[in-house]
Amino acid sequence: MNTNNNVYTIVYTTVVCVLVAAVLAFASQKLKPMQEANEKAETISQILTAAQFAEKDELGAWGNAKVIEFFKDNINKAVLVNAQGEIVKSLDTKKAEVWGTSQLKAQKYGFPEGKYEIPVYIFNNGVSVLPVYGQGLWGPVWGYIALGGDLKTIVGAYFDHASETPGLGGKIKDDPSFRAQFVGKSIDLEKAKAFEIVKGGAPQGQSNAIDAISGATMTSNGLSGAINEWLDAYKNYIEAQNN
Amino acid sequence: MSKFKDTILNPIFKGNPITVLILGICSSLAVTVELKGACVMALSVTIVTAVSSFICSLLRKTIPNRVRIIIQLVVVAMMVILVDQVLKAFAYAIDKQLSVYIGLIITNCIVMGRIEAFALGNKPIPSLLDGLANGLGYGLILIIVAFFRELFGSGTLFGIPVLSAIGYTNNGLMILPPMALILLGCVVWAQRSIDKSLQE
Amino acid sequence: MDLLSLFVKSIFVDNMIFAYFLGMCSYLAVSKNVKTANGLGIAVIFVLLITLPVNYLLNKFVLQPGALSWLGPKFAEVDLSFLSFILFIAVIAAIVQVVEMVVEKFLPSLYSSLGIFLPLIAVNCAILGGALFMQQREFANVGESAVYALGSGIGWYLAIVALAAIREKMAYSNVPKGLKGTGITFITVGLMGIGFMAFMGISL
Repeated sequence: MNTNNNVYTIVYTTVVCVLVAAVLAFASQKLKPMQEANEKAETISQILTAAQFAEKDELGAWGNAKVIEFFKDNINKAVLVNAQGEIVKSLDTKKAEVWGTSQLKAQKYGFPEGKYEIPVYIFNNGVSVLPVYGQGLWGPVWGYIALGGDLKTIVGAYFDHASETPGLGGKIKDDPSFRAQFVGKSIDLEKAKAFEIVKGGAPQGQSNAIDAISGATMTSNGLSGAINEWLDAYKNYIEAQNN
Repeated sequence: MSKFKDTILNPIFKGNPITVLILGICSSLAVTVELKGACVMALSVTIVTAVSSFICSLLRKTIPNRVRIIIQLVVVAMMVILVDQVLKAFAYAIDKQLSVYIGLIITNCIVMGRIEAFALGNKPIPSLLDGLANGLGYGLILIIVAFFRELFGSGTLFGIPVLSAIGYTNNGLMILPPMALILLGCVVWAQRSIDKSLQE
Repeated sequence: MDLLSLFVKSIFVDNMIFAYFLGMCSYLAVSKNVKTANGLGIAVIFVLLITLPVNYLLNKFVLQPGALSWLGPKFAEVDLSFLSFILFIAVIAAIVQVVEMVVEKFLPSLYSSLGIFLPLIAVNCAILGGALFMQQREFANVGESAVYALGSGIGWYLAIVALAAIREKMAYSNVPKGLKGTGITFITVGLMGIGFMAFMGISL
């Protein structure tokens, strides 16, 4: 059979594309509920890790149901705040409603015009967790920063990424000592940069700066940019709460 | 029987995809900073190369020559995405580990290179074995390079302190990509000193 | 960002080979002599220059969140960005296939010397990397993406021609037997990479 004539080529390509599309669409349709449940549990365990309730690996061993149950028991309220710092909406904590990365990304587009609604998770022990989202070297980086009752001291943080280089940029997630640096530091909204990640080591005594990851300048810069951009977006809310 | 043995043993040493065929260099620079990543990548590439070689070899008589690249890429990409989707639903923790490598696997030239050079001209079973063996050969080099980079760059192996436990100062240059290339050069040197027939 | 600094930056500071180590396989394999290196370098510039603006338009009008709003307000919410990977690859593969057919027809000598590497441009990480970087940097218009494509392409071209020239010279050097060819090439590229690290801190 002549596999090189035009009709055959076009028909063959079409059939293959339709088949592949069908298989992928079917798979994503069937698997979506399970994937979403997993993603939700993942987001919640990242928030809980940032707030220092448990380590991420321990939470993974708990299983989805227990993680969500624990979150419901400890959360006080989850609210959406706007550019003016007003609370515009509440998330349903009884259903453990949290915002995934795609929702965070969508709100980020509204930052320049001041049109956004971004979440704050407030726990019973007074800790508030704020999400951040930005671009690393190869893809998005995001994470959660937990602030104490004064909304100034950082009590913990957790970061994740889509495709940073394992062992270099990937350390924002994999290296516990990077995250540990955040604990006890504070944010300073008066400064041009509320929080700094400094290449070559943070100056001693500066309370709002930590060391960057060596060999991963772009990822560190991206993460630092994300943190500052989001803290800036939360600025009015934090000031309104402290007054 | 010796032909089968050749198909399997050749890509691991004499026809190694990285050091002899020079395929899949980009990914081998990116994932050799630590041993764990290198092992995960080696395993995934082995599976993907084997299965996609098998599938493309089954289709080899029907694929029109002029659109073969697109068809191959679609097959490979579909498989990788499908596996990613299934893992995301049933084994989320494993998927989190792998997701970083997904893009690197689809565009890894070893997968495409073996389909072009072997699977399109051979029966499915030898193609499967060829894919498997090439993945293993690739993984072997990855693990050798990652061993030295992690040991001297971070002082650890699989994240466990080895050299750093005895007061070694980490060599920051080791974790940068240029050093991976220089190490690869040394691996090639060692290989060609053992097997003189490979020398140019 | 003004176009000139984007152009210079994409050639030197963000060099595809030495800053990101993308497109290594064909880079190492086809750099034996300046003539073929020249051919592949031009092919890469050409393919980047076509695929990047096409992918830019695809991203802007189909993939981005809200990109489909030109179809009507109903589509404003659709976010197809999860498809970007596979669509970028498909566009690149299609264009490479067309280029392959054109070269085979009109420049058979170039075709025979590029051999297996023309089809492999489809999986040349530099091309896909270019598309993904472009998506990430959110360029303002097609012009910027074209300038970026041209810059990255020229950066790749310069890198491969430089390596080919070094390798031609090296043929006369007294390199240890086992290191000859591939081994010394790896090491040379590594050293060139260390040299290019000097550009890393420059911001334009």
